[in-house]
Amino acid sequence: MAAVPPGDGEHALPYGGEVLVLWLAAAGAGAGAGRAEAAAELRVRRMALGAGRFAHRSSGAFGVRGRRRDAGIVCCGCATHSPTGVVLPCVLLRRKKRSDAVKYLLLSLHGSNRFELSCQFELDYELKEDVRLFGGPSVLWRHADRLFYISPDTRTVLSAPVQLSSVVWAGEIEGEGTVVLGVRTARLRESEAEDELSTSDRAIWGTEFFGYAIEAQKMLASTCFMPHAYSRVVSSVHVCKSEMLKEQLRTSVVAVTHKNQLIWFQDGRPKGVCELPYEKPCSIKTAVTSGNQLLLIVSFASGNICVVRSENLQVASKWQKVKSVLVDDFVGSGTEQLLLLFKDDSNADLLNTFKITDLGRVNYESGINYEDDVPAAEGLQENGLLTIQALEKRLQAGLTSVRELQQHLGLKKRVLTESCRALIDLVEERSHVLPTAKKEGLVSLWDDVENPPHSLSKETSSTSKVPDHFVEKLWQRVVGESLVVGVKLTESFYLSLSDVSLSLVVDQDFSSISPIIECRNKIIKLNKAFSALSVSSCQIEPPPKKMKLDLHSKNDLKKEVHKKCSNIHLEGAKTVTAVTSLSPLLAFHCVCCVVLLHAKKQKHQNDGLQKSKKITLLCGKILLSLEDISNGKYSVKMLRDSSYCTGSMEDILAVLAASMRFSFQIQSSDFTLTSVNSWLLGEMECTPFKECHDHIFCHKAGNVYGTVFNWTLKSPFEGILTLFCRSLTVLFQCLHSLTRVLPPSCDVKLLKSGSKGVLTEQLALALEKEMLTSRTSLSSKESKAENSLTRQNEPGKNISDAPVASLLDSEDKVQQFRMKLQNEREESVLNMNQTMNGTLYQEMTLKIAEAQLSSDMIVWRLSKS
Amino acid sequence: MKRRRGAAPEPGCLRVWAAESEALAGRWRAARCAGPRGAEAAARQQRGAFGELLLRMRGLPAALPALPLELTVVYNSLLFVMGTSDRVVEGEAEGIRQGLLRVLEACGSSGQDLSTEELWQKVLQELLSSAEDSGRAPCSRGENKLLALLKAWRVPAKGASTSLVQSAENLKETLCTAAAFLQGLQELEAGNLPAALSLLQKAAGGFCSKRVLAQIYTCLGCCAQQMGKPQTALQHLKRALQVDFQCLPALSHVAAVYQELGETDAELQALGLLYEALEKNPPSAASFSPYFLIRTELLVHTPILTSLLRRRQPSEVKYLLAQRCLQEGRVADAVEHYLDFLAVLQEGLQQQVPLDGGSALPRIPEAFLEAASALEQDGRHRDAITLCEEVISRTTDLIPRALLLVEEGLEQPESPSPGTGLAGGLLSQKRESLHCLTWRAAAYLHQGWAWVKLGENKEAITQFSRCLSELLRFPLCGPGAEPRGNLLAEVEVLQKIRLLSLIGRGTQFLELGKHKEALLDFQYGLQVSPGDPAAASYLVQALWKLNRKQEAAAHWQKHLERPTGEDGQQEGQGRPFPLYLVSCVKQAAFPQRESLARSIQDYLRTMSQDPFS
Repeated sequence: MAAVPPGDGEHALPYGGEVLVLWLAAAGAGAGAGRAEAAAELRVRRMALGAGRFAHRSSGAFGVRGRRRDAGIVCCGCATHSPTGVVLPCVLLRRKKRSDAVKYLLLSLHGSNRFELSCQFELDYELKEDVRLFGGPSVLWRHADRLFYISPDTRTVLSAPVQLSSVVWAGEIEGEGTVVLGVRTARLRESEAEDELSTSDRAIWGTEFFGYAIEAQKMLASTCFMPHAYSRVVSSVHVCKSEMLKEQLRTSVVAVTHKNQLIWFQDGRPKGVCELPYEKPCSIKTAVTSGNQLLLIVSFASGNICVVRSENLQVASKWQKVKSVLVDDFVGSGTEQLLLLFKDDSNADLLNTFKITDLGRVNYESGINYEDDVPAAEGLQENGLLTIQALEKRLQAGLTSVRELQQHLGLKKRVLTESCRALIDLVEERSHVLPTAKKEGLVSLWDDVENPPHSLSKETSSTSKVPDHFVEKLWQRVVGESLVVGVKLTESFYLSLSDVSLSLVVDQDFSSISPIIECRNKIIKLNKAFSALSVSSCQIEPPPKKMKLDLHSKNDLKKEVHKKCSNIHLEGAKTVTAVTSLSPLLAFHCVCCVVLLHAKKQKHQNDGLQKSKKITLLCGKILLSLEDISNGKYSVKMLRDSSYCTGSMEDILAVLAASMRFSFQIQSSDFTLTSVNSWLLGEMECTPFKECHDHIFCHKAGNVYGTVFNWTLKSPFEGILTLFCRSLTVLFQCLHSLTRVLPPSCDVKLLKSGSKGVLTEQLALALEKEMLTSRTSLSSKESKAENSLTRQNEPGKNISDAPVASLLDSEDKVQQFRMKLQNEREESVLNMNQTMNGTLYQEMTLKIAEAQLSSDMIVWRLSKS
Repeated sequence: MKRRRGAAPEPGCLRVWAAESEALAGRWRAARCAGPRGAEAAARQQRGAFGELLLRMRGLPAALPALPLELTVVYNSLLFVMGTSDRVVEGEAEGIRQGLLRVLEACGSSGQDLSTEELWQKVLQELLSSAEDSGRAPCSRGENKLLALLKAWRVPAKGASTSLVQSAENLKETLCTAAAFLQGLQELEAGNLPAALSLLQKAAGGFCSKRVLAQIYTCLGCCAQQMGKPQTALQHLKRALQVDFQCLPALSHVAAVYQELGETDAELQALGLLYEALEKNPPSAASFSPYFLIRTELLVHTPILTSLLRRRQPSEVKYLLAQRCLQEGRVADAVEHYLDFLAVLQEGLQQQVPLDGGSALPRIPEAFLEAASALEQDGRHRDAITLCEEVISRTTDLIPRALLLVEEGLEQPESPSPGTGLAGGLLSQKRESLHCLTWRAAAYLHQGWAWVKLGENKEAITQFSRCLSELLRFPLCGPGAEPRGNLLAEVEVLQKIRLLSLIGRGTQFLELGKHKEALLDFQYGLQVSPGDPAAASYLVQALWKLNRKQEAAAHWQKHLERPTGEDGQQEGQGRPFPLYLVSCVKQAAFPQRESLARSIQDYLRTMSQDPFS
């Protein structure tokens, strides 16, 4: 189907391994002057490859009525000759008549070099656009955006009922006969046209493909070839394969586009892309070479050619200054080759400078210079390179793991040697000294744990009496379904209490219900000071670390810290809240409740031990009416004021008290945790409370609105996120959103009862207390026992006090020693049988049990966290 | 039309691409959790897949409805290209440019020949022409423009970004950190320390990996050190090590800070720790962290960072330990470290010795000589002699018979001729020969003094003589013809060796009672180094012993009547001599200055009382 551009009038056409050269000549050969006026004659010369060049085999001619000047070859190609079913070379000739009409002759060439007139027709315009020969032989063309063709049956000019802008392909499709693939302006369905957001190709790019079956004279679905989007860019198409499978047309299509790409489509889906090396590709054809390789040959407007291998869509070769490229089995090897005809300055024979290749074994050229023949090994080389890189990486990975193993082994060895040393020391009864980093003069690089002298000046608040004025404020708020009642205590009073709780008692006499209202108690600690993390921005040079041994400065420091801490203790810490369900109370329309405070008051005894006494105090009354609630008197008001959330302290406490509280410990192993903060401030649209900056309020519309967060970083890689949320759903929503922004290998852990570090510290303290309790109680018992018992031996006469060696010099002394030993033994037996006061014992066991209980509690919490 | 209405809507390219992009991003999200090795391979695959998808998308005319998806794919593709390469390369800029051109194409305009900056402006104009001018960042005066711009970037809502392989929010934070870090380093380089400090602190508060955070803290430490705040520096460096103990450069900076503070114990311990850590942790190759494609590490590459984070070799640290011990007079420790260092050198020279300019290592013979010096001070004279023998045998063939050309070599650099390259080469060759000569002579010198300590006067004299005959290869410059230019330092060292050798031999002659020979040597020594107190003292002593008391007194008055303190100062003023000569200088000091002074003064007194005796 090669349509050779009419160059010097000679057209080359491959046919059956030969090259046909077609041209128009004046009938009586020779006479120079009258050539143009002479009658035209179409001539053909069959050339075949032999002895390294194309040799003339045979020739033929066909007389065209009319002058040579008026005649011309429009195009030539091969098409099926329908009477015989054989594919024959065809030529379309043009002959101007005296009127403006143009007469067209379609000739087919038979084996005996005999031309046969297949059909002829007359038009009042010249054929220019998209002229194509197809089976019959017949011809189709485009004129004034209409598609015309000669009907193979009736031999008359017909037009297809379609407006088109170009024909990109015409050829045989199984079951459909000759099909034309064209491009036209998209016709959108009404719904599509209206929908501005339509994502269909036609709506976006504005043109579409259409298929038209010439024999059946019907439109075909065209999406089985290519997506419509490509109708804007495709310049030439080749259908490599088309077959009907289960009434579905399966196709392999290759197309070149104005975007300088070659695209392979399988069943209408783009499967591969190749960037073309030159601009403006204009046509594509294929060649099947040895090994059943499909080569895609792209011609460019500039006269360049490139060949792409279909299996990997990589440019295999390219040439410049090519006049035309023909595909056929020229060397007679059984598969096809490319015949490249190069542009030649000398006006010599068309077949003078050529090259025959199949990019494989067959390579033949006529001995001319050609340029830019790039070997095809690029792709292979790249593959090799990638493989090597991959192997290298694997090797490196192996090496690192070996190193890691070595390190690990080294570590184990060290532990072993250290243990051995310790064991040896143990056996030889030496005290084993662990290797320490800290030696004199060296300031340790690590935060060494210090035990500061315990010089806490405990303020002995001997206020065992309850002060007259201890409630600073009593308030109530309605948060969602709950009623929150808060009692703010004076600071000095609050500090003397422990185990504080509130209870609400209905004041009126409703016989039907219990007067005590079930409620949850909470004490929420809020810090007003904003905890700035990361690098300390203080520009002052700190004193050298050694100075820390200076006790005086240490005390000063301690005082300062104390001051700061007391500043941090805010109202929140002195407020006790009780939360209860609102709706049962509302049933009474108007209800009055008494608020009671329960607490343990600490008393300091003379021996330093603390004793606590349970107290219950009346804090006041609250009045709850439906009307007030409806008026929003007790509702929480949170406003967003530029970068802060404003709300009274009571509002904040009410929200926190009414919410569920969850703490999560977030630990990142490799990346800093800045994303949590940006998540809170960005995605969750949080703003900090003006009253306390470290709690932030979520303003994001929807379910999560009103959630309060607290994000405390312990180090750049560890922090605790506390959520105060209305429901578990909200919690899961927040966590889901959070997990997307957390860096990889992050460990998020729910802290059920305080963080592990705090708990461990508490446990240590509790155990210490336990130990102290048993020791003090035992010593008190001993002192009492000593008082009651009259001991016979004098102190200082124990055997252990005297040097044993000197006692064992003589028999006498040994005897003496024996006596003493006997004495002592008796004494100790006596000591063991001491009796004990019952109340003392009771007191003692109670104390010990209490202490054990508290440490057991902590252990339990620790085991659950 | 009826037929078409019934058919299912064909899958448009846009939808197909969107699905493909989504699928690729999803696959990546799954792969990156699978561990570094799988993820690295996946990243390379994804780079190819996104590249191909982009190629396909660019095969069609740009269209506004397809633009968001196309830009998403451009973004992903660029991230993979950058994430799988070691650092930012030029290719990305072209990728961005292509993306911008496509935006313009979709808007119906073109900008093929605009610069990238102009392209950005045009694109923003096209896209934001209707939108309000909200992009302008509130940049207060004096604040850092780039950082302010980055901070003001309001990242689009998450909804559109599910197919992004790295969230824009994350990218923003990474960029903020990288920008602050880079600018901080620039300011640090420019000596703008407060600005550098605040920028680096900003960087330390940003999003980054442990490794980078440790690097930032290390830089903060260096910055604080340069600001004269050693304690702050120590705190920062400590943080660096807490964050990532693999950040060993922090440890060597710690040693430097302690040295500055004069805390030698701490410094030596830090160095010891560094050596141990280096021994145990061979430098690991930068591991591929698959989770984030764009990381601060990729964006921050400056020479100053490389030099700040230079990882010392174990041999280097060992040498530093040895050298510092020797400098601080901890001779026994120094000997241990020097011997260890020499053993390391024996093991494998090629791997152990860094050849770049920043190395702390001296030339190997100098290290040998320092070791010999340490051994000698530790009383291991025979070992010191053996070590010096090594230096001598190694340098035997390296020195030309005579260095007559030295004079030319010295003069050449003063005239800036076009052939400076050649002259420079010649000069460096000269310098090298000079170095060899110096080492060899110094080795003989050390041997001489070691024999002195062993009481072998004759052997000592032999060695001193060898030293002097070596030095004869290099002609002595008279005091008038002072060598100038590049080789001054080397020549000064040579003269010092000559002086010390002469004094050494002189003292040995004195001990053998050869006062005249001794006198000659001391006189010669004074010629070499006029005013040298030791040489002068010995000269006076020699004259005294020869009973030339008047001359002795004259010399005493001429050279030595200044108080001793001044001499010390004078010595300190000059160029510091190599570490290996310090012990010899000490040994050559005149020991009985007080008694000599007394006898001279007695003599002078009697002379003034009785001038005719």
